[in-house]
Amino acid sequence: MTDLFTTASGHLRARHRAEWRFRWLGRLAIVFSLGFLLIMLFSITSLGKGALSRAEIQLSIDLSAASSLEDVNFQKAVRSALFATFPEVTDRSDKRALLKLLSSDSGYELARMVEENPALLGQETTLWFTASDDIDMYEKGAIDANLPENRRRLKDTTLGWVRTLESRNALRSVFNTAFFTSGDSREPELAGIFSALVGSILSLIVCFALSFPLGIMAALSLEEFSKKSRWSDFIEVNINNLAAVPSIVFGLLGMAIILNVFGLPRSSPLVGGMVLALMTLPTIIIASRAALRSVPPSIREAALGMGATRVQTTFHHVLPLAMPGMLTGAIVGMARALGETAPLIMIGMVAFIVDVPQGFTDAATSLPVQIFLWADSPERAFLEKTSAAILVLLGLLIVMNIAAVVLRKKFERRY
Amino acid sequence: MAQREISLTGRKRPLETLLKLTLNLASVLAIFVTLGIVLSMVFEAWKFFQMVSVTEFLFGLEWSPQTAIRADQVGSSGSFGAVPLIAGTLLISSIAMVVAAPIGLISAIYLSEYASARVRAWVKPLLEMLAGIPSVVYGFFAALVVAPFIRMSGGQFGLEVASESALAAGLVMGVMIIPLISSLSDDVLNAVPSSLREASLGLGATQAETIKKVIVPAAIPGIAGSFLLAASAAIGETMIVVMAAGLAANLTANPLEAVTTVTAQIVALLTGDQEFDSAKTLSAFALGLLLFATTLILNIIAMRIVNKYREQYD
Amino acid sequence: MTKTLTAIAVLALTTGAAAAQERISIVGSSTVFPFSTTVAEHFGKATEFATPVVESTGSGGGLRLFCAGVGADTPDITNASRRIKASEVAGCAENGVTDITEVKIGYDGIVLANSVEAAQFDLSLRDIFLALAANVPDGNGGTMPNPYTTWAEVNPALPATKIEVMGPPPTSGTRDAFAELAMEGGCKTFDWISELKGEDKSAYKELCHTLREDGAYVEAGENDNLIVQKLAANPDALGIFGYSFLEQNADLVQGSIVNGVAPEFEAIAAGDYPVSRSLYVYVKNAHVGEVPGIAEFVAEFTNEETWGEFGYLAEKGLIPMGEAEMAQFAEDAANLTPLLLD
Repeated sequence: MTDLFTTASGHLRARHRAEWRFRWLGRLAIVFSLGFLLIMLFSITSLGKGALSRAEIQLSIDLSAASSLEDVNFQKAVRSALFATFPEVTDRSDKRALLKLLSSDSGYELARMVEENPALLGQETTLWFTASDDIDMYEKGAIDANLPENRRRLKDTTLGWVRTLESRNALRSVFNTAFFTSGDSREPELAGIFSALVGSILSLIVCFALSFPLGIMAALSLEEFSKKSRWSDFIEVNINNLAAVPSIVFGLLGMAIILNVFGLPRSSPLVGGMVLALMTLPTIIIASRAALRSVPPSIREAALGMGATRVQTTFHHVLPLAMPGMLTGAIVGMARALGETAPLIMIGMVAFIVDVPQGFTDAATSLPVQIFLWADSPERAFLEKTSAAILVLLGLLIVMNIAAVVLRKKFERRY
Repeated sequence: MAQREISLTGRKRPLETLLKLTLNLASVLAIFVTLGIVLSMVFEAWKFFQMVSVTEFLFGLEWSPQTAIRADQVGSSGSFGAVPLIAGTLLISSIAMVVAAPIGLISAIYLSEYASARVRAWVKPLLEMLAGIPSVVYGFFAALVVAPFIRMSGGQFGLEVASESALAAGLVMGVMIIPLISSLSDDVLNAVPSSLREASLGLGATQAETIKKVIVPAAIPGIAGSFLLAASAAIGETMIVVMAAGLAANLTANPLEAVTTVTAQIVALLTGDQEFDSAKTLSAFALGLLLFATTLILNIIAMRIVNKYREQYD
Repeated sequence: MTKTLTAIAVLALTTGAAAAQERISIVGSSTVFPFSTTVAEHFGKATEFATPVVESTGSGGGLRLFCAGVGADTPDITNASRRIKASEVAGCAENGVTDITEVKIGYDGIVLANSVEAAQFDLSLRDIFLALAANVPDGNGGTMPNPYTTWAEVNPALPATKIEVMGPPPTSGTRDAFAELAMEGGCKTFDWISELKGEDKSAYKELCHTLREDGAYVEAGENDNLIVQKLAANPDALGIFGYSFLEQNADLVQGSIVNGVAPEFEAIAAGDYPVSRSLYVYVKNAHVGEVPGIAEFVAEFTNEETWGEFGYLAEKGLIPMGEAEMAQFAEDAANLTPLLLD
């Protein structure tokens, strides 16, 4: 009797230990994934935070001779102001080097300021101008002044000017609003994420509006309204197979059919969204089918037993229960679509686009494309822009996720 | 499934018929997409097979498209055997699945069975963020952090590790596809009726036993679906491979060597500088078709297996 | 959901009508992309015209799109990191694209570099060939598969480190130029190979252009920043990439001396540095006048302030042509002289 009891309690202890191990295994798995996420986020953030600020140089601009906008050569006004700041620089090549302190945009910058504030005309004022990317990098500590001169982007003379500016308090660091409000540029100090963000949002709207309803419809048709047959097997294999087709092939399809046959405009978010929709459709169908399959048959039987038709059963009882799973599928699919570059090469969205797209048919690019292009640029200053763009992309993803969580909460229940 | 519609009034419902028709149309769309994909590749692939024989392409053990970019350069004829690419694809995807399948599934189980509602509400979307980080970022991470680390630790044990190894690419890719498995499986596990759980627990089984013996088997079709999606994503992934594993086509099963995949080659070939009508570019279309056929066969096998073990619990 | 769909359809149609603004469309090489986009941006700011859309498709894909026909849905200009082929010109003509203006915009230096942590390499073209070719001379008038594993085996003056060179894949124009200039240049320093050129050109090219595939040459993809980072992490390796990346990353990597010349701006521009290639822009003449701004855009591109020695493209790493050559191409571009391949 005692013996049996000891064995049993021994077994019980072993089973409880197994239980404990299993639970910890689960925690470990999650900690591993989250740890990885954390490392990635940390490294991206530490690289990308620099994009939030930019260096500015103060110049004293003399517009006292001008009375209207047409009178002024803005480029020249900025140049002469800069030369006036360093009167000791007379050599031609030194003057060239001096001009590189400022962003190449500074003339237009002044023009914009005067346009906004015509009171500047006819007087002499001190104004702040965007510094070039090299100065900006130096200000952020990305250029080591202790390296030998031939390994540095900033030469000794330039470094001397920068120190002079610093000592005069004519160099400051401000919040980089341009990064969030302007389009792409080949000058890192001017480049912004806004046009790519708008492009991504427009494409995603098209993608979601097409793929989510179509995906659910296809899943419903396969799970609820067709009997298992060779035909349904054929469709199923087809869909599963589409999920593994490399994304660039969808780009080829988009080029061959959407661009050439339907004649929709190249580089447009409309076409981009359609291609991404074709790409995410299988993901959504597979997830939705899994969700529908997991709705217990008793629900259907009860509804049918109460006299509901198959359609009523499906739409009133099964679909709401499967909704959380379907939304998860949509989110996972859209997340992939959001990060996709390869199919967009074929339909012209891997492009340099400065202007913010005004609609679904305007030329546009997308966030991952912007990231890809910046990551491929020689200028070191694009590194922080790349990382900051990734953070913006993740921000968009979080917004999408929150929407999904709210919706999921609404539908989710256990029975 | 032998339920028949019972219509109390005996009327036909034209709206419902229409609705069903629309739904069926949506599912047939998949076939049109497949058709479109095959059509958009088949012509160029045909041109390719006029330059390179089908048998050489399918069974050739060497992939080295060193053909000249311009007409006046003769030489370097190049060979177009796709076997190393298919092998490389399978090697890297398998490594990714070895990472993602257990971690994803165990995470899903923990989230749906053990974690409190609050934890689940936070952790699940966080995991999904892993799927949303663009693969360029994973690529950089794999190439600059993971690959050197593997090379260094391999050196400690006297192993010769290529600076661009299949292992680095596969491991990082595995992390990227974890959420595909964890999120979808979590939903499926969550949908297993509580009555099953309660019955098992009531018989004295521990929670872990309930999960292993009752809940997971009940959720197998959905879990299989999530595995399938994850494997598909791994096969289709490009950037991580290009950045971390390189483009050298070695025929090897050693994860410490550099391999390349079909998709990485397709992208490199299509966006290259060579003439578009050269065998080099056209081979991308043949590779596309080959990959399509390969995944089709894998899918048919997978479906057979899933159908065999499919059960419905309540 | 149907409401959203309809709303989108309506929105797409209405905005489509409003957004029919004509802009120049440029496609082509990813190597020329940084230069083209710089010009496009300046052009958009300085003129009334809309900023052109510049796509990065690769030279081959770009020419294919460019040659697809004449009309609003085809690109106006394509960039190429190699010269257009006769077969491509013929293909163009078949689709009605007959008059093409070729504008050579300058040179791109191709550098071999390693981490600043290691010693700088001083290589001859022959060293490069012997280290990287698939087959090398065996000393008895024949060839053998490349047996060298360290640089010292190639040339005792070089360090005894493992040969590991990361470079572009065979689909890249950079790789093509490297094979032609560096590999062939080293290859023909062997007299008997040089004689082979006259006898059997194809065997000659095969021997000179084929890179080894046993792991010493690593096909590392086209992202040059990544190669720079990999070099910084691995001081034993060398990398092959464009000059602009060397210039921007002088704190991490150093260019190897080739045939006694270091890859510096002046040396490349003067033609002393042996490994540099030409970059091209092709203009579809039929679109000039149809799409507003093309002539002005080409004028901006061929302006001294743009592509000259002190122009803004030189700052981005483009190596300018000599004055005579520049004047010739500027004139051809201004007159839209159609390309005639010899």
